[in-house]
Amino acid sequence: MIRRNILAGMTAALALTAVQGTAALAENPVLKIGFVGVTSGPAAAWGISNQRSMETRAAWINEIGGYKIGDVTYDIEIVSFDDQKDPKRAIAGMERMAQEGIHYVVGPNVDNGAAAVRPVAEANGIMYFPYAFPKELYTAPASNAVLGMVANYQSGPAIYKYLMAERGVKTAAFIAANESDPLSQRDSGRAAAEELGMEITSANVTYQVDTTDFTPVLTPVIRTNPDLLVLSGVSPANAPQLIRSARELGYGGIISTETAQDAQVLREGAGDLANGFISVGGASTPEIASDMMKEFVARYTDMFGEYNDESNTKVYALEYILATLAADPAGIDDVEVFKTAMDTFEVPNPYMKGDAVMRYVGMSSFGQRRQVAVPLVVNVFQDGEFETLFVAEVD
Amino acid sequence: MTRLLALVVFLFSIFWLVPFLISVTGRWNFYFTLTSVALLSVASAGVWLTFYIGRINIGQGAFALIGAYVSAILVTKAGISFWVSLPAAGLFAGLVAVLIGLPILRLRGVYFAMITLVLTEVVRLAALALPITNGAKGIVSIPLPSELSIFGITMIPDFSTMENSKLAFYYAACALMVVCFASLYRIVNSRLGHLCRSMQQNEELAASVGVNVAHLRVIVFAISSFFGGLGGAMFGAIAQSVYPSSFVVKDSIDFMLNCFLGGLGYVFGPMLGTLTLYFGWDLMFELGKYQLLVFSSVLILLILVLPNGLLSIRLGWIRRLTR
Amino acid sequence: MEQVVANGVYLGSQYAMIALGLTLIFALMNVLNFAHGQMYVIGGFVTYTFYGQFEVPFLLALLMSCATLAILGALIEKFLFGPVIRRSAREESTMLLAAGIAFLLDAVILLVFGEKQRGVPKIVDGVFNWDFRIIMPYDRMLICGLAILSIGAFIAFMQFSRTGRALRALAQDRTAAQLMGVNVNRYSMIGFALGAMLAGLVGGLLVTITGVNLGMGGPTSIKAFMMVMIGGAGVISGAIAGGFILGMLEAVGLAVLSQYGDITYLVIFIALMIFLAIRPHGLMGKPWG
Repeated sequence: MIRRNILAGMTAALALTAVQGTAALAENPVLKIGFVGVTSGPAAAWGISNQRSMETRAAWINEIGGYKIGDVTYDIEIVSFDDQKDPKRAIAGMERMAQEGIHYVVGPNVDNGAAAVRPVAEANGIMYFPYAFPKELYTAPASNAVLGMVANYQSGPAIYKYLMAERGVKTAAFIAANESDPLSQRDSGRAAAEELGMEITSANVTYQVDTTDFTPVLTPVIRTNPDLLVLSGVSPANAPQLIRSARELGYGGIISTETAQDAQVLREGAGDLANGFISVGGASTPEIASDMMKEFVARYTDMFGEYNDESNTKVYALEYILATLAADPAGIDDVEVFKTAMDTFEVPNPYMKGDAVMRYVGMSSFGQRRQVAVPLVVNVFQDGEFETLFVAEVD
Repeated sequence: MTRLLALVVFLFSIFWLVPFLISVTGRWNFYFTLTSVALLSVASAGVWLTFYIGRINIGQGAFALIGAYVSAILVTKAGISFWVSLPAAGLFAGLVAVLIGLPILRLRGVYFAMITLVLTEVVRLAALALPITNGAKGIVSIPLPSELSIFGITMIPDFSTMENSKLAFYYAACALMVVCFASLYRIVNSRLGHLCRSMQQNEELAASVGVNVAHLRVIVFAISSFFGGLGGAMFGAIAQSVYPSSFVVKDSIDFMLNCFLGGLGYVFGPMLGTLTLYFGWDLMFELGKYQLLVFSSVLILLILVLPNGLLSIRLGWIRRLTR
Repeated sequence: MEQVVANGVYLGSQYAMIALGLTLIFALMNVLNFAHGQMYVIGGFVTYTFYGQFEVPFLLALLMSCATLAILGALIEKFLFGPVIRRSAREESTMLLAAGIAFLLDAVILLVFGEKQRGVPKIVDGVFNWDFRIIMPYDRMLICGLAILSIGAFIAFMQFSRTGRALRALAQDRTAAQLMGVNVNRYSMIGFALGAMLAGLVGGLLVTITGVNLGMGGPTSIKAFMMVMIGGAGVISGAIAGGFILGMLEAVGLAVLSQYGDITYLVIFIALMIFLAIRPHGLMGKPWG
């Protein structure tokens, strides 16, 4: 019985701290921005890096007195919903956002979640910024989704083109987990590579996400001896193991992926074997990070103990929402105004050195401006750190 | 008499009281949550029925996924009305259950549990590999359920013209739930239910007194999967999209847990279990990163207090009503 | 071909160890422990923390993993499974408790160890390469050896020690064991602690190769169930056989079927279902699993 009391006490205490955590806000009016994504279970890393970069930025804004939209200065509150990577929960999460009167939501993190919340978002006038690539979400008649990052069918060709020109790559092999997102990415990556004139040596090897030993999976792929091995849609947990297994099997070519990775994870999981590994990142490498980006990283590390390089690409969605609202304050309760503002919106990119801008793109991929112009930063891993290989733009 | 009264109270609550409370409090998002509870409890009711013949079923996610795909394919590729595709989805899931059930229902205990669990993964991988399911890209942009009319009289209006399709889905899901639990109640209190109980006790003994055990368990498994197919199809219609990962092993396990939590000995156990597990999670939304911690702690406490399910709580009137 | 066999042996040895702990707990108390994978993950994180962060010697960190999990397992049995088993009408009900514990451990892992994939420095460098017929890094060979050694030690313990004999008696017939003077409650707790310890040990061993992250728990449990079913539930030799068979099946399946791409795993799982349908109790299971 005592034990139960202790547990009950713990529960109550936790509940209390959680409530306090969300209630403590200053006197400015509060602007709520939503996040619906996966923050528990196997894919937790995706959503947590997302949620934490939003919370870091919000705390920062509130600390310096709020965000000015029109004549009003708002405090920013992030409302997060854990969808457990389940499309049913994602719908519930989007309904919850509508309930809270939120019009701008970041997430979901995966294809099926992003597709499932679409009816809710459209019915309730919510703009959402998924990290999912299906083109149906962003092409008309769909109009409420804005792709929050660079899609692999955009970054892939850029990387392949670079490698063909600079490193003389002629053949490529693709490997993907047997789940929707990675398989779709593999198919579009393969099509892009073929279009560029690359020879595909192997593209049908798949693995279960829970694989603990990739040697048997990789053996047949490595036998085809490609110049380039593409890990399509690889999760940060699998990437170091795949790299390690490929290198240990004697593979000497280039390994690349089109998803964001974390340097610390690669360093721990593969060490020097990951040298030369190419991935898509944000703007935290020293060559291009602005002082604001450096401060963001410092604040994130301060708040959560450890930075996650995946957040480099995820810092943008919230910034875009706020900046676009500032461009036309009427957008706060009316997403149609926001959509109109998107067409002409253009401000300097605060996270990058130089004259990069934030604007909405996607005309060539989707026929309408439904993608944030995140700089396409291609990184290479070298001795424990990422170095920028090249920077490109998506149109 | 009390049973009839309870039924009236129950129907009154879900069809009138809940919408009333929601409109008073303005918590519109509860419609979807409760719709989910209704649909998931339909699928869980199927799992409960397999428990009734002494089988631990961790494969309901497979049948829900099959149902979702059948309905989505019929609606998008063949242009059939959703209301026709709904029973078709259930029937197809039932048919698959007969074919798979014939060999695997010989298994018992954890072995049956295991093989059904593997089945969930097999169906997901098949959905990824088959051309008709559109593979990894899933089936998206499924239209909302269209009008259902019999002899020119509109029975169910077109969902896409409605102002509030949430409410329509809520009513539809609740109606489905009521029908399914009514038939479940009927089955359990029929000769079939009696035979099932004898099987649950001792299959050999039941066979020796002339019960056609093999025949019976396939029928029960098919009914169970029929429920799973219905629930899955309806979910596809709400999300307007189906992916191979729409129902996965985790869902299969959840369906089973719903039954355990509600109580294996009570027909309405799966309904209460689903409500507690699914709605409970949503209610703890405010807890942020402690949500899972508190949720699981409460769950464990509940099991410690009521190891035989929520409905085993010692209140005479509930016991009388539910048995 | 040699490579496939080598891969299979390596995979099989780690799988067998994961399955051992699960089957032991199942044999003793008919509990299908859904939280087994989470225990494995905790074992991995403990070794990561001590060996990777605090730079304690590897074997000592491994011992820490074992000790942590043994204590955790004992507590879980004493305060959670024990009382629930005594009071529940149908023993399957413990599955809900096991799932609840799995959720709880998942939440604790997330809060304590974070969401990132973690890895530790290699314990030995270098790759064994026999004329490109067998390629196997030395650390894998070492871990494989250690795993087989631990399996041997575990079998010896079960065969020859007093505790082991009591546990076997308990697994065979609970009531009879009780009548013979075995303290059932005490040995249930010891058995559960031992099973959890095995999960922790294999977690600690494998963190050096595969690393660890909080998502590995659930899938690991499920894989362990499969092995246990192949070999036969509740039988030690069955778990070992099941582990090696699944390891081989995966290695061979991937080598033979790789050109069919997406359906490789589909075929493996369907084969598994057919096998179970033909052998409803696995290779050597007791029929009332």
